This record gives sequence, C-alpha cells and structure tokens, in this order.
Amino acid sequence: MRIHVVLDLYIFKVKTFFGALRASKASIALLLLYTLSFLLGLFSFSTPISDAIRKGVTDIDSYTELLSSVASLLMVFAVSLALRGYTVFEYEQNLIFTSPIKPREFLIADIFSNLTSLLIFANPIVIFYVMIVHSLKLSTLSALLMLSSSILFIFTLLLLKTSLSMIKSLYGGNQVNTLILAIIVILVLPAAGFIADLPLEYNSLPYPSTFLARILVKSVYSVDRLTLDFAGLSFYFLLSVLLFLSISTKNFFPTTTCIPFVSPFDTSMRMQTLQMERNIKMFSRIGMLPTLNLGSKSLLTFLMKKEVIRVIREGSLFTIIFFYLIASFIVVATSISSSQTTQSLPYTYLVTFFVGVYSLTIPLMLVSNWRFSDIGSLWIPLTSGMDLRIMVNALLYSFISISSVVPAAVISILSLIYSINPIIPLTLAVSTSMIGCPVNLYIMVGFLGMKSSGTPSILIGLASMLLSVLLLTPTYILIFLGLHLSFGDVTSWLLTVTILAYSTLIMKLFSREIKRSISRIEL
Amino acid sequence: MTPIVELIDVWKSYDGVQALRGMNLEVRRGEIFGLLGPNGAGKTTTLKIIVGLLRMDRGIVKINGIDIREEPYEYKRLIGYVPESVSLPDYLTVEELLVYSGKIRGVPMMHIKERMDYFVKIFELEDKRRTLIASLSSGMRQKVAIVSALINDPDLLILDEPFIGIDPMGQHILKEMFGERVKDGKTVFISTHMLDTAERLCDRVAVIHRGQNVASGDLKDLQRLSRTGEDATLEEVFLRLIEEAKEMSMEKPIKEERKGFSIFFRRDAP
Repeated sequence: MRIHVVLDLYIFKVKTFFGALRASKASIALLLLYTLSFLLGLFSFSTPISDAIRKGVTDIDSYTELLSSVASLLMVFAVSLALRGYTVFEYEQNLIFTSPIKPREFLIADIFSNLTSLLIFANPIVIFYVMIVHSLKLSTLSALLMLSSSILFIFTLLLLKTSLSMIKSLYGGNQVNTLILAIIVILVLPAAGFIADLPLEYNSLPYPSTFLARILVKSVYSVDRLTLDFAGLSFYFLLSVLLFLSISTKNFFPTTTCIPFVSPFDTSMRMQTLQMERNIKMFSRIGMLPTLNLGSKSLLTFLMKKEVIRVIREGSLFTIIFFYLIASFIVVATSISSSQTTQSLPYTYLVTFFVGVYSLTIPLMLVSNWRFSDIGSLWIPLTSGMDLRIMVNALLYSFISISSVVPAAVISILSLIYSINPIIPLTLAVSTSMIGCPVNLYIMVGFLGMKSSGTPSILIGLASMLLSVLLLTPTYILIFLGLHLSFGDVTSWLLTVTILAYSTLIMKLFSREIKRSISRIEL
Repeated sequence: MTPIVELIDVWKSYDGVQALRGMNLEVRRGEIFGLLGPNGAGKTTTLKIIVGLLRMDRGIVKINGIDIREEPYEYKRLIGYVPESVSLPDYLTVEELLVYSGKIRGVPMMHIKERMDYFVKIFELEDKRRTLIASLSSGMRQKVAIVSALINDPDLLILDEPFIGIDPMGQHILKEMFGERVKDGKTVFISTHMLDTAERLCDRVAVIHRGQNVASGDLKDLQRLSRTGEDATLEEVFLRLIEEAKEMSMEKPIKEERKGFSIFFRRDAP
C-alpha cells in the first residue's frame, strides 16, 4: 500500500467535500450559524449535567443505559447505510476508479475523510466534550480515556459500515440483506430495551455500545475497573479491522452505486437535478395515472395542471401526505397520553399546533422542488414570449391548492374523530399556504435573479421560513386569541375572514413582486 | 429587405469579464446562418441575448425590425430556440412537453397536434410520445427539444450547437429539415464548432472572436478577406481569421466594410 497515494487521495476528498463552501460566503455563515445554535443548545444542557454530576448521581446505571441506547442507535444507523451497497460520488467513479489506485488505498482514504467530515460536523459535540471536561475538572487520564474510547467506537462504526457495504456491493442478494438486517436487529436491542420491557437486560450484555457507555460514565467518577470495558471495546475494534482487512483487497469499484451529492454544501444544480430525475423515475409509476389534458382551453388551467402533475410525479405530494400522516399520528398519540394525565390538552389546541408547524414546511418544500426540477427548463417559458404573469399565477395557485387541500383533509378527519370545530385549524392551514407559498417563491425567484446559484438551498429555505413566520405573526396572534377567548360563532367567522383578507393582501403583494423579479432572471 | 436579426454594437459582461465587445451582426431572411468562433468567443451569449435569456449591457438587437428592448415579449413568437445543453422538464412525457411548448407560445391546439404528428414522425420519436423525458437518452432529449422549438413553426429557428449528441441519422434529418425551412422562406441561425458541416450547410457565416464579429459573409467573401485563396476550406479560412484577430486585438481598432461582407476588429471598451 502506498501511503503517499492514500494521503493525496484523502486530501483531495476532504478538499472536494468542503470545496463547495467556496461557492458562496453564505455557506460559511450557515456553518457558523449551525455551530453557534448547536452550541447554545449544548451549553444549556452541559450546566445541569455538570451540576447533577457534582451533586452526585446515585443511579449511574440509568445513565449508562441511556448512553448505551444512543450509541446502539448510532450503530444501527451506520449499518443500515450498508443496505445501499458501497456508494461513491460521480467524480470518484470517473476520476479515481479509472486510475491505478487500489481498493484498499481508496477505502482507507475514504474512511479517514469520512472521519474528518464527521468531526467537523460534530464540532459542537467536540466543544461540548471540552466544556464537560473543563467544568467537571476531570483528570487528564479520564479525559483521554473518554476521547480515545469515542474515537475507537467511531472507527469501529466506520469499518463495519465500509465492510458491510462492500459485501453488499460485491455479493448482493437476499442472503446479504438478511445478514445486514439481522445485525441491525441485534444492535437495536439495547435501545429497544431502554424503551420497552424486554425479557433480557440488553444494556448489560457485552455490546460495543455498552462498553463505550460504561467507559464514558464511569470515567467521570473513577478510572478504576475500566480495563475490562476498554478491552471489550478494543476487541470489537480489532474484529472490525480484521473484517475490513479480509475484504478490502477485493475489486469492488465496478459494483459501486453512484450518488449525486458531494457534500451538504454542494450547490451544483446538475447534482440536484440528477437527484430529482431519480425521484421522477421512482414516483412516475404512480404519477403516470393523471396526464395533462391536451384539450385545456385556458392557459392558466393548463399550467396549473402541469404543476400538479409535476408535484405528483416527482413525489412531493406523497411527501406532503406522509408529513401529515406523521402529524396526525403525533396528534393522536399526544391526545392519548395527555388524556391519561389530569391536565389533558383540548384537541383543537393540538390539531392547530401541529397544523401550524407542518403547514410552514410544505410551501418551502414545494418551492424548493420546483427550483430543482424546473430551473433547468425555465428557458422554455422565458423564450416563448408568453405572459409570465400567467406562469407565476399558475405556480402560486397550484402551490396554495396543494398545500391547503392535504391539511384540510387531515383536519376534517381529525375533527370528525374528536368532534371539534375545524374552523380555526383550517383557517391557519389556508393562511399559512396563502402567505407561505408566495413568500417562498419570492425569495427563491429573488435568489435566482441575483444569480446566487451558489447559495445552498438550505440557506434560501432559512430566509424563506423566517420571512414567512414574520408575516404570519398577525395570523398566529389572531389564532391564539381565537383559541383562548373562546369566541362565539359570529366572532369566529369574523376572525377567519380577517385572517383570510390579510393573507390575500400579502399574497397579492408578493405575487406582484414575483412577476417583477421573474423577468429579471438570466439563464 | 429588413434583416431578421440585427445586432448593433452589443456589449455584455459577466462579473466584470467582457463577453461581447461591440458585437455587430446581420442575419438575412431565408438563409442558414452560422455563427463560428473558438470557445469563449461569445457565441452562446449572443444567441441568449437574441432569445431574451440574457440582458445586454448596451447596444441594439432587432428581430424582424423590432427592437427587443422596446418589445421584449411579442417578438419571441417568431422564434424557436434550442440551447446548447438541453434541459427539459423530466416529469412530462414527450407529448405533454410538446403541447406545453405550443400552448405557452399561443399555438392553437389543432396546429400543435398537426406539427407534433409531423415532426415526431420525421425525428423517429413516435414510439416515445408517451415516454417520460426522464427516461430518454441525451440524444433523444435533443431531438425532443428541436421538435419543441418547431412547434410554433417559427420564422427564425435558433440552435446552439445543434449537432452535438445527435446520431448521424438524426443529423441528416436535421440538415434536410433546415433546407426545407429555408425553401419556405424561414431562417435558420446556428452556432457550431463543426466547420465542415457549416461549410456545406450555411449560406453565410460570421466568425467571432473575443466578443466581436471578425468577419461575416459567404465562403467566397471570407476567402477573399482572409487571403487564403479560392480553394481554401472554411476551416483554413477560420484559422487564418482567428489568427489575424488575435494579432490585431492588440492594435488600434479597424473597421472595414466591403460589398457583400463586413469586417470588424476590436474596439477598446470605454
């Protein structure tokens, strides 16, 4: 094995992964924002944890069980990634796999670059670790033990995931799937045992996650009696190394699966379009049922139908339905658990709250997916000489319809089940759509007009969400008043009319601005 | 007769980099016109300004005598455009895309169906009519984009590198179709790197370099201008003109006009 080749490859991979950050300064700002917000949350966590430990925790086992469950879930996640086989980026297939680089050289560089990205993304956790070590004034030995065991555990995860992915790519078939699924089931048991009453105390069994949890918890108090746990963890690490060494010489290059995104900072439209193309191929099996009515007289109706067909064929509609199914599930589950307590929440509150939360994300998703699937073909309407106002109206009306109809259906069903008045949650859902869709589209078109294609979608989404929430504040206030003051029928209807009138005003205002901005787009 | 396309002193820059530096161009009605130039010469920028996908910094562009700044939409009904890298709505079927393309251009449904049937047959896409665009090869997509550009029977068909990615049979069909359109008095305006094809196909060409029209005319005009002799191929003429343009680009601006052709050299930006 040529170490310099591995090193060069590692540097190249890390540079490519984070190179996308150079596309826009906004990405760097976003990373900083992510770190800061994460840190604030962890800081508020670290103080009570440190206090609790200083005061003396009586139940060390429950902490160990909790940590062991979390660690076992991490292992489950890593192993489940192997079900896709070994995935690589397009540039790796074209550039690296066509060079004389050997599989093991590539794999080692890949593992270390994954570790680097993981550590950079998990930087708030690293800072959190430093904060805990500092606030508890842990000894150097304890601190080192915690750090080294964590790194050993991460390496075990990466090696296991790499080896199983290779096995899946090389041999495929149901037997490999069964093997991976069996490993997942075994690994999930400690977490399952933490939630439910299982016949065995899985958290006391010699799982790698149990060893890690014991080391982390015990090293806070004393470094004694940790040799066995450390040896256990090292045993699993050696086992994963052996597995890796036995398989890493095999030529798996021709069996890899290509994935489009290089990194979360990847702003390449081509990659995003590739991802969308995959979705279309997957969902079109169902989405081919409705077709564009070739005889539509009005251009607006025709374009609205086209948008609805897009939303069905690219899978957005199914995602929205899935979103609301989760929301309904949460509402039902929360209502069951709250009915068991003395202070049960009224169902109207629950439904309104979840509709409010979920409705906000739907316009963002619809507009983002429109960008991914239609920006490439925007040259067609822009060179057609058509009245672009019709296009904007078609987009807005179809987005508002889709983002209102699904929650309306869910609210209606829940209202029937719990015999509640659906007016307030329905008003909120419609208002969120009427304000959210134009605001999201306005921000998106604005970014496209500014040629900020280098801005990650996540940042555009953040800006859209903030502006939506800001403009929805009057709606939220009125809905809050409606829920608390228990208005009569007439006042409730007046409230609804006021909210809808306000939403219409915002929609009209923004749709006018979108029409102005869309003509400024240069492709 | 009013030229179908006229560019007068058109300038365009991207982030401070000059893509067009006073581009002058004239495309006549009923001809196949080729825009030739090395990579980065400004071919795609020129075409995108004409079809309204880019805004020029200054200058005048007239389509059929209409200044596109004064009337930025209506003139597009005369145009059919196929970009260099074709991206189509993957979620539509071929038939749905063609109807969409026709509808937004205001073509009556009857004509859309007629033209769709005709061109789909010509370009051998009949069995793909109800296929999702996402499932088509890049060559097929290129053909679909060409049919989509023809759906409004445009007076001016603009194609950016139309032969790239299309199989020889498809290229042959395309060339035949260009000839038929010209016979009907329509105009075809292409940009291409394929000089041998341009030589056989185009009535007139313009050679552009660093955002300027170096020379335009028919092959004889260009041979005379480049002093390459009567037997010189378009490739030889092209290479000579580009070479001269590179040498001249450091010197003072020259503008020379002769009957049947024109030659412009770089003027320094103000």
